[in-house]
Amino acid sequence: MFFKGINHYGDLGLILDFGSDSSQQISQEVNAVYALLQDLDLPQLNIIPSFNKIVLAFQSGKDRNQAQDAIEHNLAKADLKKTQKDRIYWNIPACYEDSYALDRELIQATHGLSKEEVISKHTSTSYYAYYIGFMPGFPYLGDIDSSLITPRLATPRIQIPARSIGIAKEHTCVYPKVSPGGWNIIGQVPFDIFSLEHSRTSLFLPGDTVQFQSISEKEFLQIHSKHLAFDEIIKEFSK
Amino acid sequence: MNRFQITRTGTYLTIQDWGRFHYQHLGVSPSGIMDQRIPRALAKVIPHHQNQFLEFAYVGPSLKVVQGAIKVSVGGQCNIFVQKNNNTQIEHAPYTSINLFEGDELTIHNTIDSVYGYIAFENGLGLESCLQSFATDTKAQIGSINRPLQIGDQFEVSKDVSSWELQSNEEVYVSKQTNFKVYPGPQMNYFSDEVLQTFVSSTFTITTQSDRMGLRLEGEPLKSHISHDILSEGILPGCIQVPSNGQPIVLMRDIPCTGGYPKIAIMASEDISKIAQLPPGTKITFDL
Repeated sequence: MFFKGINHYGDLGLILDFGSDSSQQISQEVNAVYALLQDLDLPQLNIIPSFNKIVLAFQSGKDRNQAQDAIEHNLAKADLKKTQKDRIYWNIPACYEDSYALDRELIQATHGLSKEEVISKHTSTSYYAYYIGFMPGFPYLGDIDSSLITPRLATPRIQIPARSIGIAKEHTCVYPKVSPGGWNIIGQVPFDIFSLEHSRTSLFLPGDTVQFQSISEKEFLQIHSKHLAFDEIIKEFSK
Repeated sequence: MNRFQITRTGTYLTIQDWGRFHYQHLGVSPSGIMDQRIPRALAKVIPHHQNQFLEFAYVGPSLKVVQGAIKVSVGGQCNIFVQKNNNTQIEHAPYTSINLFEGDELTIHNTIDSVYGYIAFENGLGLESCLQSFATDTKAQIGSINRPLQIGDQFEVSKDVSSWELQSNEEVYVSKQTNFKVYPGPQMNYFSDEVLQTFVSSTFTITTQSDRMGLRLEGEPLKSHISHDILSEGILPGCIQVPSNGQPIVLMRDIPCTGGYPKIAIMASEDISKIAQLPPGTKITFDL
């Protein structure tokens, strides 16, 4: 276990600490504990997993203290392997052509790679979805091939186009909506990944696996024009 | 059918309730009412508010009844006028019920020595919830109405008001508390004893770069001897984070869901409503 303990987080919060490192194994434990917490039916307002922490928010100090007891009691006897949820393996189409890949040439220049090498390195790895954060439906995916690791842009962009694929440090992401941001943009997915119309709300959930598949601009425009609903995306692009 | 229309927006006019919960793990902010004391007091005047309040900052809106009649109450430190259909003007006190009939126009002037004001409506605003809440998150564009309100926006309240009897509540005193006792933040150890001493002994000024997401403070810089960059983790309203310029930010209701700056301290939850009402330029201090 990486789990280190539970601490108070202000007067209405708790924080579960899984150390200061980040790895897929740590995240798997975080997401297993997250699933356990969901099943405990605690009186919480929010449970927020991240790389190596879980933060919980409550309405009252009484709720918080009651939840802390329940968590300590249940974590001690939990078999975390059993709380692992079935997660989706995604094959997500992605277009890496110039008009969608605002920083691909910068990545090529930084690492001395050709366009084809960048695409092949980004599409040959299957990524683990650590957690969703920053903005609605924004997945932190990783880890990327070490030869693609690049710092965030020195000056963040004021406007990143919706559905853009970014890379920064060891991670890759998809921007669900137009947003300011500092990730290096190398492509775009052809459908929305956040939807109020579907109970899932966010296409990617923590613990999912995501692999990108390079498509041409023509294929991209074709898929984009279909305005696929989540059910259709799940049917066509997951296994 | 009762209908009214926004005829002046004032500034930052949005729909708010007590918050959108159970979605922060998907990156959705809790949002909600900045100063919860005021709608709580309005609820005594307008019991069937349906948790659908209008919130404004600094300058209040105007709204005009287009059809039927509505009953409202305004909370906050502000002057409230009704231009009646017969061209007379009547001033109303906050936290009293106001009956508005076809053609009447309600206008709320500036908030005085404070920031936020609220309007509660008997039988609500006829809205449908979005992700279990009516609150507007303008940044994520989520809400019953997913943007600030605009001139011409109309609301339909199908249920008629059952009692026009005047109600009032003793006005809520918006305290000018400027010293706040805070809890230790999860990265308090990122700051040396000397810096923590500066944090509790110096004065911080609320800057104009403050909004529903956070209050940016200005004061003696709080430099971490470890780092101003941590692995992103869940954050809650009231967290006081310190980016690399050393100037703290108090996170408010429209928080980003995770954050990568060390948190030196966390405000008491009930103080979030109080600090929200302090206008830019106000000097504040913290106690650990």
